[in-house]
Amino acid sequence: MRCHPRSRWTEHVIEFKDVSKIYGKVKALDDVTFTVGPGSVTGFLGPNGAGKSTALRILLGLARASSGSATVLGLPYAELARPGLRIGALLDAGAQHPGRTGREVLTLGAMTLGLPRARVGEVLDLVGLTERESRRTVRGYSLGMRQRLGIAHALLGAPEVLVLDEPANGLDPQGIHWMRRLLRDLADAGCAVLLSSHLLHEVEQVADRVVMIGRGRVLAQGTIGELSRNGGLEQTFLALTAHADRSPGAHTGPGVEASRGAGPGRDA
Amino acid sequence: MSRAVHHPDDITEAGPSPATKDDAMTRETVTPETMTPETMTADTPIPFHRLLVVEARKLVDTRSGTIIALIMVGLVVASVVARGAVVGPKLQTLAGTAAVALGTLLPVLGILTVTGEWSHRTALTTFVLEPRRHRVLAAKCLPPLLVAVVLSLFAMLVAVPATAVTAAVRDMPAVWEVRPLGLLGWTGVNVLSAAAGLALGTLFLNAPAAIVIFLSTPVLWAVVGRLGPAGEALAEWLDLNTTSTPLVSGAVSWSEGARLATSAAFWIVLPMAAGLVRVLRKEVT
Repeated sequence: MRCHPRSRWTEHVIEFKDVSKIYGKVKALDDVTFTVGPGSVTGFLGPNGAGKSTALRILLGLARASSGSATVLGLPYAELARPGLRIGALLDAGAQHPGRTGREVLTLGAMTLGLPRARVGEVLDLVGLTERESRRTVRGYSLGMRQRLGIAHALLGAPEVLVLDEPANGLDPQGIHWMRRLLRDLADAGCAVLLSSHLLHEVEQVADRVVMIGRGRVLAQGTIGELSRNGGLEQTFLALTAHADRSPGAHTGPGVEASRGAGPGRDA
Repeated sequence: MSRAVHHPDDITEAGPSPATKDDAMTRETVTPETMTPETMTADTPIPFHRLLVVEARKLVDTRSGTIIALIMVGLVVASVVARGAVVGPKLQTLAGTAAVALGTLLPVLGILTVTGEWSHRTALTTFVLEPRRHRVLAAKCLPPLLVAVVLSLFAMLVAVPATAVTAAVRDMPAVWEVRPLGLLGWTGVNVLSAAAGLALGTLFLNAPAAIVIFLSTPVLWAVVGRLGPAGEALAEWLDLNTTSTPLVSGAVSWSEGARLATSAAFWIVLPMAAGLVRVLRKEVT
């Protein structure tokens, strides 16, 4: 098995550089900076509402950063000629037309990317959806099946970069075990995998590196080993996220709130 | 495309349970067997014709899509045949009757086509595969316009046997004369109404809102037209239904053409331009 030799990337396959996102007065992302290298699984860990999905949407060109830049393979996503062949993404397994069959969803993807139809059968096998299941409409799929379908779609183009938002949601224990193996093997073959999760143990079991995020800020990043030093990953995570939760009250007087609204140091 | 294609069954060797197929899976299929260097070109954009084929397929690959298609075909046939029973065997009149059904259905089709991905949130997947959103929008708009042309031709085809049968059944002489320019203009009216639906749908990106606005326009013009000379002039220049009527006669005067262009700009060009900006900027969630 190999990850595609198209990749000549030695360091930053994914790069977030000072990415901020402001919705009205809410700062969803605040100077997010981190990189993901090839041949590794990076866990993007944070509580619900921490800004993980927003960051991934910006990375994939579905939302604009208010400031800063996010690049994949050295370019903003929208500037890649045919990104589906290099980057596989699963952002929301629930975002499917309920009346379409799983096979049809994959066929549309394969057609768009110019892949032979037989690739559909391959990715179905890969994620363990049977021929019969693939001919049912997505309406009747369990969340776990939708996740598998979404992962199959992400793998269509045999990408060298995978971006997955909470992919383990709804998977049963076997499914989670299966996905862990899949991501591990892809990373060992040279792919860069970025997966977000709010579940610490899930990330701990599969990731090489972890980027912890809370309230839109990167709280810590490093290898599992580095982040586990002070009594384990969980302790680090709880301590950091608790701090992040308290921080607005702790750091903000009325004056700070106002300066935040004005976007300190980065707006024109 | 046909090279190196294996039947999916050739690749399946592991058992059905995902838990037991781990080993087989990762060793064999993550590296795609069906992909050739040619199909793996990531350096060229997706050709537009392929986006077009995919977007056209999305119109009919669900049950609701098929039902809409059947309803349109059914209503065209029903309206042509029913008109024949009432007014007698006149070819052009019978074909033209289909416009009553098409005038409502084509805009609704247009609206559903451009709003569907936003209501089902499949835009998330579509725009990840093709981040140049304007290309996707263009590929979405062409099939409904083509459907307008095809259904217009279909109505003319249905009108031929309908005229013959009506003539035979009612024992009347059939009127076969048609004004080719009139039929062309009539097809144009149908294309314009599909385009107006596409533009409204793109502007609102919300099917119920766009459909309600579209359906309430006749009422709007009825009211505006009664608001004195100014209102009358407004309705004369902006009501696409009225301004496109001269097309059906096949002869459009300069002033009629100017009114048609004005109303088309108001109902098609402006909302489509504003809608395009929205589509390009909107955050996909």
